[in-house]
Amino acid sequence: MGRIAIVEGVRTPFVKSWTLFEDVPAQRLGSVCVRELLEKTHLNPDSVDEVIIGTVAQPVEASNIARVISLYAGIPKQKRAYTISRNCASGLESVTSALEKIKCGVDRIVIAGGTESMSNIPLMFGRETSKIFMKLNKAKNLAEKLKLFLGLRPRHFKPVPGLILGLTDPVCGLNMGQTAEVLAKEFGVTRREQDEFALMSHQRAVESRPKLQEEIMPFIIPSKFDRMVEHDNGPRENMNLESLGKLKPFFERHTGTVTVGNSCQVTDGACALLVMEEEKARQMGYQPLGYIRAYCYVGVEPDKMGLGPAYAIPTVLEMAGLNLKEINLIEINEAFAAQVLACLKLLSSKKFAEENIFSPGTVGEIDPNRLNVNGGAIALGHPVGTSGSRLILTLLKEMKRREAQFGLASLCVGGGQGGAIILER
Amino acid sequence: MRALNLKIENKIAILEFDQPDSKVNLLNSATMQELAENIDQLAQKSQGEVKALIITSKKEGSFIAGADIKEIEQIQWAAEAKEKSEKGKQILNSLQNLDLITLAVINGDCLGGGLELAVACKYRVASFSDRVKIGLPEVKLGLVPGWGGTQRLPRLIGLTQALKMILSGQNISGREALRNGLVDRLFPEARLKEESFNFVRGFLEGTEHITRIRRKGFSKALLENNPLGRAVLFQQVKKNLLKKTSGFYPAPLKALEIIKRTYGKSNQSGFILESEIFSQLAVTEVSKNLIKVFYLNEKFKKFPWVSDQVKQTKVNKCGIVGAGLMGGGIAHLTSSHDIPTRIRDVNFEPLKKALKTAREIFDYSLRNRKLKKNQVEYKMGLISPTVTYQGFENTDIVIEAVVEDLSIKQKVFKELSQIISPRAVLASNTSALSIGRLAEAVSYPERVVGLHFFNPVHRMPLVEIIKSEKTSDQTLAQVIAFARGLGKTVIVVQDRPGFLVNRILFPYLNEAASLLEEGMQIEKIDRIARRFGMPLGPLELADEVGIDVGYKVAKILQDAFGDRMRIVSVLNNLIQKGLLGKKSGQGFYLHTGKRKIPNPQVYRMTKINNRGRVSDQAALKRMIYTMVNEAARCLEEKVVNCPETIDIGMIAGIGFPPFRAGLLRYADSIGIEAIVTDLVNFQNQFGQERFRPCDLLLEKSRQKQSFYTHDSNRKPEYA
Repeated sequence: MGRIAIVEGVRTPFVKSWTLFEDVPAQRLGSVCVRELLEKTHLNPDSVDEVIIGTVAQPVEASNIARVISLYAGIPKQKRAYTISRNCASGLESVTSALEKIKCGVDRIVIAGGTESMSNIPLMFGRETSKIFMKLNKAKNLAEKLKLFLGLRPRHFKPVPGLILGLTDPVCGLNMGQTAEVLAKEFGVTRREQDEFALMSHQRAVESRPKLQEEIMPFIIPSKFDRMVEHDNGPRENMNLESLGKLKPFFERHTGTVTVGNSCQVTDGACALLVMEEEKARQMGYQPLGYIRAYCYVGVEPDKMGLGPAYAIPTVLEMAGLNLKEINLIEINEAFAAQVLACLKLLSSKKFAEENIFSPGTVGEIDPNRLNVNGGAIALGHPVGTSGSRLILTLLKEMKRREAQFGLASLCVGGGQGGAIILER
Repeated sequence: MRALNLKIENKIAILEFDQPDSKVNLLNSATMQELAENIDQLAQKSQGEVKALIITSKKEGSFIAGADIKEIEQIQWAAEAKEKSEKGKQILNSLQNLDLITLAVINGDCLGGGLELAVACKYRVASFSDRVKIGLPEVKLGLVPGWGGTQRLPRLIGLTQALKMILSGQNISGREALRNGLVDRLFPEARLKEESFNFVRGFLEGTEHITRIRRKGFSKALLENNPLGRAVLFQQVKKNLLKKTSGFYPAPLKALEIIKRTYGKSNQSGFILESEIFSQLAVTEVSKNLIKVFYLNEKFKKFPWVSDQVKQTKVNKCGIVGAGLMGGGIAHLTSSHDIPTRIRDVNFEPLKKALKTAREIFDYSLRNRKLKKNQVEYKMGLISPTVTYQGFENTDIVIEAVVEDLSIKQKVFKELSQIISPRAVLASNTSALSIGRLAEAVSYPERVVGLHFFNPVHRMPLVEIIKSEKTSDQTLAQVIAFARGLGKTVIVVQDRPGFLVNRILFPYLNEAASLLEEGMQIEKIDRIARRFGMPLGPLELADEVGIDVGYKVAKILQDAFGDRMRIVSVLNNLIQKGLLGKKSGQGFYLHTGKRKIPNPQVYRMTKINNRGRVSDQAALKRMIYTMVNEAARCLEEKVVNCPETIDIGMIAGIGFPPFRAGLLRYADSIGIEAIVTDLVNFQNQFGQERFRPCDLLLEKSRQKQSFYTHDSNRKPEYA
């Protein structure tokens, strides 16, 4: 079997949560995006075998959100769809799952992508409160109901934000931001370094606006339809070190270095990619954006989940039989500036390579001019389930612009994993 | 051949309706006679030999579609109608009086006389199928139920619900019927027969009991269960009916009268009044005309414009170019029928508006409970906006709805022709431009066709399909199937300026403007037309449509037909002053919110040439007869194939009053000779070309012919 092609892709603008898209559920973001992909590629919906969507906080009203997206996008009911999650790499996992399905001969044409509306992650009642409500429902008479009612206390009405729960590691108990603090301490990443990195992200994203426009679809916001969004609203034109420096550490009072300014933004957005075999794409008259050369996922310590890329990158290079130097462009998802910088430090450390028996060519310094050239999640935002797909799309479009042969995208994954993919043209 | 089969098994009688040579069961005289005989037979056996009677239908998805309308149409004398009504009642009374468990098994349509039969049974069950439609549509034909429906239904389901069904003539679904107590059980379609048996056996074995306890609700206690409340209810209902029927449709009011006078009284006295009123209505012209329109509608639902040998392909995706009022309306229509739709405009402003409008119409269906929230979400998502042509490559049909300008439309056609698939149809929603000329822009004129929707798209039932000289049958078949799939009534017309509806409508609007110039007041002109039964007067209609929109059509007609269609100067003045009708807040009227008052500015800009007072009658004649004259020209020039096409077109397209059975039926009722005489007089009086009767009118007048021959069942002609 030949290579697996990524034919085309499109994404919604990435919009800071609780702003423009706050009333748009993740399934709608995803379906508008998938529909636009179908239109852009004028692909007959009948020929789509499967829709695979990655997401982290699946809305309760849209379980198996991929199926909802598929139907909302006008894909015939006879077609298949399923949802996957690998936390922050869900949007990468959907693409690699598509590859696996195609390689196994189960599917021929797959739409893979990710969707996330972090605005819509619900606030919840605690276990105790939920139990009382369930019992109230089952109560047979007024006396019983009254008794249960009287048991309710103000604390029962304090909502538990699903977003915070989701961002807390269930094993080490640290919040994602706290894991970044762990890395900053261990690798001695300073506040200044982090802020400079964040500033660069914004500057590059702002400068790349016209380029990013090529991958973004204009989005008319339902259900009022009176506003249209064309751009990501995360990147800030007037960002500077001074204002970044003013921010207080968010996760560790006084001595912490991780701020909301040098972390990724909480964002809503969706992305969809068309995946099929190279030969099939040629038969259908497509000129694919690029092909998948290799991919991998690795496990790391949950409290150092940010180091995922440092392990995934040499691994995937090894699998692809390539050297780090041969890679023209690299995307490392910017969950936190501290985490990306820690990865860079680790990758350039000899000791690290020796300890992990990575072959010498697969590790080393990463040229900042090849890394996240259009900015990253600190500026653009990180709709968790979507980012993996977005990195592939942005990377492939940039590879095309630069006529680059190889590109590598990698993400750290909450819960202690790393993922990486090598794309070629 | 008999229509009824009676079988008796284990003391349960099964009476099965199966009308020979018919897709549905109709209660004609012969069938009713058979029913009477069967009931007599059962009455004799009811002392032990038979314990229960189950009435079923052998027709798939249809129980009994009603009484035979043909027989009602032929009734000439009230006495005849009365006899028919009384006889039917007698038979259904004997059904009710059978000393058996009686059950109607409703497997589909259960309408009119069919429902009256069902409510004469002790119990009713229905299937869960969507094909179950239950109703008393008599008022739609200018009648009232004649076999006891006005008596038994209120008793069974309560006053409010019964009034709703009888006065509106609307059908209800099986689920609604279960909710209001009209049916006692719903069973799966596949097990309807067995479950019905079990249900009856349950009664025989004493395990099944149905007690119809009237649900006591607050509003029920307030409105139905006391005389004062009922008086308020009747008052309110009457007020609404008067508003809705504008006094043109007596049947719903008569039905209300029957129920009001007989509710709570004995069946017998109620039956007498019902028969009396039924017989009065059955011979009215309104009823006869509404029956004609019913047949007209039925005929055009499947009129074979193209030989059925021509293969059609299904439309899986629709493209629309132009997101204005019409484009947006069409997008709503296609998406509401689950067709993925791609809509393009040059920028996002009109697209936003189109989506917003579609959403508002969907929200309306949501409030009406026609659709569920999830369905709206799904359907709404099927509309995909764009400012490119991306996604048009795999559409099966593209509807162009850009501004009415030949060169712009031709440009769009040219662009599209380079993108769309060689199998796709290119349709234009133009209201007057030549389809043949549009087709010149592309290399395959056989795939170009006119598809003229009326505004508002989701409400107006007509679609005018325009066939150019080169349009292929394949293309025609495809758009006809497409438009019918969208629930529209289709007429096929030739590619002549203004096509059919607008061409006939314009003389009416123009005549109204002339009357205005002669000093008649705006609201008076409109009132005259509304009193005739038009849903809107000509000037308020112009305001609704948009004077600029109408003007564009008028211009095309003037260019094509010259003097006869010369645009009255007041229209020019309005356009110049930017008074474009409702959308600009000012036209013939000043529009503020929902209210409108005549616009004094219009009088000031009108050169009133006082030629003496025009009587209301003369004004009406001028407006209507010029339409008749133009319609006759359309027949003469073979723009359409037959007078029926014109009548359905004017009823479904602009709301020509159905109780007048259509423009040409109306002309026939006046007499062509009389119309010609009036037209000639107007011509002499004003010296205007527009009144000159066309050759066909003159010919028919000389020959003392009418538009319709008595043989209205002629074979359909291919257009």
